[in-house]
Amino acid sequence: MLDFYPLQDPKTTEVSQFFQNLKQGKLTTTKCKKCGQLLWPPRILCANCHSNELEWVDLGTEGELYAFTEVRIGAPLGMVQDAPFCVGLIRIGGLTISSRIDNAKYDQLKIGDKLQLKIVELADGRVFFRFTKPQ
Amino acid sequence: MHKVAIVGGGATRCGKREATWRDLIQEAGKAMFANIPNLSPKDVDSLFVGAAEPGRFAFLSHVAPLVAECLGIMPRKVLARTELMCASGQAAIRYAWACVASGLSDVAVAFGAEKMYMPDMAEAQTNMSCVLDREWDGVNALSAPPFFAMTAQRHMHEFGTTEEQMAQVCVKNHKYSALNPLAQFPKEVTVEDVLKSLMVAPPLKLLDCSGITDGAAGVVLVRAEDAKKYTDAPMYLIGSGQANIGNNVNNLASLSEWIPLKIAAKEALQSAKITLSDVDIAELHDCFTISEIMEYEAFGWCERGKGGKFIEEGQSCIGGKVAVNPRGGLLGCGHPLGATAILQAIDIMQQFRGEVPKGRHVQDAEVAVAHNLSGPANVHSILVYSR
Repeated sequence: MLDFYPLQDPKTTEVSQFFQNLKQGKLTTTKCKKCGQLLWPPRILCANCHSNELEWVDLGTEGELYAFTEVRIGAPLGMVQDAPFCVGLIRIGGLTISSRIDNAKYDQLKIGDKLQLKIVELADGRVFFRFTKPQ
Repeated sequence: MHKVAIVGGGATRCGKREATWRDLIQEAGKAMFANIPNLSPKDVDSLFVGAAEPGRFAFLSHVAPLVAECLGIMPRKVLARTELMCASGQAAIRYAWACVASGLSDVAVAFGAEKMYMPDMAEAQTNMSCVLDREWDGVNALSAPPFFAMTAQRHMHEFGTTEEQMAQVCVKNHKYSALNPLAQFPKEVTVEDVLKSLMVAPPLKLLDCSGITDGAAGVVLVRAEDAKKYTDAPMYLIGSGQANIGNNVNNLASLSEWIPLKIAAKEALQSAKITLSDVDIAELHDCFTISEIMEYEAFGWCERGKGGKFIEEGQSCIGGKVAVNPRGGLLGCGHPLGATAILQAIDIMQQFRGEVPKGRHVQDAEVAVAHNLSGPANVHSILVYSR
């Protein structure tokens, strides 16, 4: 059955490189070689000029918190047992991306906080990214 | 292009209903045809069914022919389910309108239905988490409440909007829903009730959020020149606007300003050849209290960042600058996704006809706008109605 996480191996997605990079601790995305457009989430087609000539660029590992909240009730199946947990929008490498925020409660966060990239491994070997507040 | 009129409509009561998806559409269909005695189901040549997620909420897909079968309609021009999440009902009206305006269809029904109460409500919450980009935003638990919580946080951070001001939106809309027999929450609340309600995703509390709702509704559209065959009081569809920017949260134009709504509102007013001061009633998509505040701003009833002050001053109440959500809004009436826009249209028609209770009747209203947003407020859809 499908769950919330992206399919990741080369047999199921054409952006499997993203997850291979993530396994090595690197948060990356695609950038168009022709027009320079930075594309998030990773793509196989530039939405701006429709070129397929894309390259992988490193977004870095430190982000800045732009907005956040805490999921207290109404978490979807598969995340109910984690609640309450924080989520936020994080500015990193010219993007503003959503992420879960580990290692912090709502009252411990503020807009502008510096957050660190964290890689989480799922039970089936897939990986995904989160951010944490350095202690 | 033909001018198009809505000649009648009907709806179910909204709420936690002891009824299936199929029960709801029959109840609404009966009410719709009862409202237009001169119309037979056999006269309907096109049918659009706004339904956001029947496949997940009711384990039903291909639902347009199910509605046709249950109501004795035999479509022979255009038939489809329309999906635009929270604006799925408006999508149905827009498609029906386009078909009648083009001359393709003579009599089109725009229907909407959603059955959101499920045996396990965690499943219902899960269904709402594939609306935002599921693999990249939904995966981070971004369903509607967390997303709009962050929207509210940015609006508070940038403009000083307060939780009390947001609560006042809920208080106003419940004041009107208390007088609406179709409403899910037909009772008044106080600012204190809102502030003390259960925290869902800070700063949003339970009463800052519209409900999980079962409901169905339908309206009938014909060419304006044919309208008097069916009613003495048709409602005309005189303008529209719709705009979309981005899908993933990274690709939105702004979190604290709804730029696609500004674009759609401008287009809606221009196409209707009216100005904002002509609008007597605004049915705005108050899925969350912060939404209505940001909608005052994007339409232009107040400056950017001043939406909180606008509700505080009572300018969006009946008798203020513009009557916003005299139906009771999504906050008071509930939000049965696919049916919501149809319910808005029916209430505006009843306002024009003088069929609503005194305490929420907007006297001598001539022009109304009906607005729905969908997804992470990346899509805004507007229709303009006149008496």
